[in-house]
Amino acid sequence: MAERKVLVADDEIHIVHVVTIKLRNNGYEVISAENGADAFALACEEKPDIIVTDFQMPGMTGVELVRKLRQNETTKDIPVIMLTARGFAVEDKEKEELEISELLSKPFSPKELLRSIEDILYQRAVMRNK
Amino acid sequence: MKSVRNLYVIVTSVVAGSLFAEGLARWYYSGAEGGLRFAGYVFVWPVCYFAAAVGVILLGWYWLRLTGRITSIIKELKADKTSRIKSGGSKIVNELSEAINDRFDDNSGYIAELEKQIKDLQIQIRLSQGQKRNAEAIVYSIRDAVIVIDEFDKLLMANEAAGKLFDFDYKSSQYKPISELVGGEKTKAGENGFVDFLCQSRQSKARHTRREIVFSNESKSGIFDCIISCVYGEGERVCGVVAVLHDITREKEISQMKNDFVNHVSHELKTPLASISAYSEMLVDGEADDEQTRKEFYSVIQSQAKRLNRLIEDILNTSRIESGLIKVEKGPVSLTILIEEQLQMIRSYAEEKNIEIIGQKPIVFDQVYADKDMISQVIVNLLSNAVKYTPCGGSIKIETEVDEIAGLARVSITDTGVGIPEDEIEHVFDKFYRVGANKKQAEGTGLGLNLVKQIVEKAHNGRVFVTSEPGVGSTFGFELPLATAEAVKM
Repeated sequence: MAERKVLVADDEIHIVHVVTIKLRNNGYEVISAENGADAFALACEEKPDIIVTDFQMPGMTGVELVRKLRQNETTKDIPVIMLTARGFAVEDKEKEELEISELLSKPFSPKELLRSIEDILYQRAVMRNK
Repeated sequence: MKSVRNLYVIVTSVVAGSLFAEGLARWYYSGAEGGLRFAGYVFVWPVCYFAAAVGVILLGWYWLRLTGRITSIIKELKADKTSRIKSGGSKIVNELSEAINDRFDDNSGYIAELEKQIKDLQIQIRLSQGQKRNAEAIVYSIRDAVIVIDEFDKLLMANEAAGKLFDFDYKSSQYKPISELVGGEKTKAGENGFVDFLCQSRQSKARHTRREIVFSNESKSGIFDCIISCVYGEGERVCGVVAVLHDITREKEISQMKNDFVNHVSHELKTPLASISAYSEMLVDGEADDEQTRKEFYSVIQSQAKRLNRLIEDILNTSRIESGLIKVEKGPVSLTILIEEQLQMIRSYAEEKNIEIIGQKPIVFDQVYADKDMISQVIVNLLSNAVKYTPCGGSIKIETEVDEIAGLARVSITDTGVGIPEDEIEHVFDKFYRVGANKKQAEGTGLGLNLVKQIVEKAHNGRVFVTSEPGVGSTFGFELPLATAEAVKM
């Protein structure tokens, strides 16, 4: 099975670093970006299997990034997990509308993040095989 | 009247006697002969007619005199209604004058009483007019908008604030329907809501009703706390409604700012906490394979813990200064010496980045009246920011000026750093604000410059300033009042 690719977008380098190590240790290929614009460009170019993005980033917020991803043909189906340090930053309606697979609040557990990624990718694979 | 009657009797008797005497004489002498008959005709007739003529003349004269005097009394009465009639002339006229004067005397007490009542009424009118003016002045002086309407929804009274808020002439709009003055064709968002609320409150007869009304208009926008009170007439009948609109826009803004602050603080605190939590979990789960990675993880945890502590300290300092809880211990402080002290601390950091520090010229008198520790904090914050955001090989220039005329000392710190974009410069002193493009350059809490502003402006009545050009550099500085003799005495 080909290595699954995860795009991690966060302006906190320590967070990007720790997520990268956790995912790499578990057999994922990780690419990263420090802001929304770079993340979008990278998503279009690399077509990752899943995107983990922070809610608050300079320039483009996580929600704006997802909106842009959904409007783009090549990226519109990529599942997204959003990390947020702000409670209630994303409303349920918005989460549904933008098809955000999961919202994880900071501080988060890398273990839990890994589990979520695996669950989402597994469900996608099952759906695809049906 | 008796004299008139007597005169009348005498005159008519004279005339009648004369005519009777003439008749008698005619009859008597009709039988007489010759000379006697002639003498009787010649003497008796003229005597009788003379007597009758005298009687008629007397009667006429008396009549003229009487009517003349009565006319003058009428004139007197018409000319002066208050003074008594002068007596004089004939007895009958005197009697008439006296009778009028008696009636006048009888009525004068009554008239005086009426006059007093009129005066009292005039005083009461003036008093109530004064009270009305006072009541109006009270309503007009209220800063909140006040509108009073009657039971038919027509305006009874409004003050200047209400006129301004709803854009109508508050002095000349009495008795106009409220819906014409507020809302209608020139409807602003919120106004119709207000009129409806006003009418509903009147119909509900509730003593007080309260609602927040939002106005959003180009000229006027804001949030108002609207309290409507019914004015009751006889029984439970509502004869009017008083509406008071208090502008709570500022309170709402402050409350929003507090919410934003709490949100922001929690976000800022959670960010280092997220790293600490994630890295420690990785260590516990054995995800760090080698010693070097483990060391790296420990150092991240340590640096994030320090960041968390710094954040908490900065938040506490800022809020202490803002709330005025912190004690400001002012005294004469030399800026040159303070800058020199803080430079010692920052110099090694600057040397690491090969940044040249161009010091100040010696100043003869640069003592300011300030809290030494606080101003040290200001200087160190500005200097460390300058070093943080200046690329390797740059320079930092520190200048101190004394403006004796204005009575202040000015410190400016100019760097050759990354600079601040024009649209962001006005926010650099805001709490938690960090220039987006420069975030990667260095770590920060977004509170350092806010603390500088709080210390300089809130605790020392000074002023902070900033100028910047992206890619060229920035100048941050502050002004503080000089330690003049007066200030030291205080």
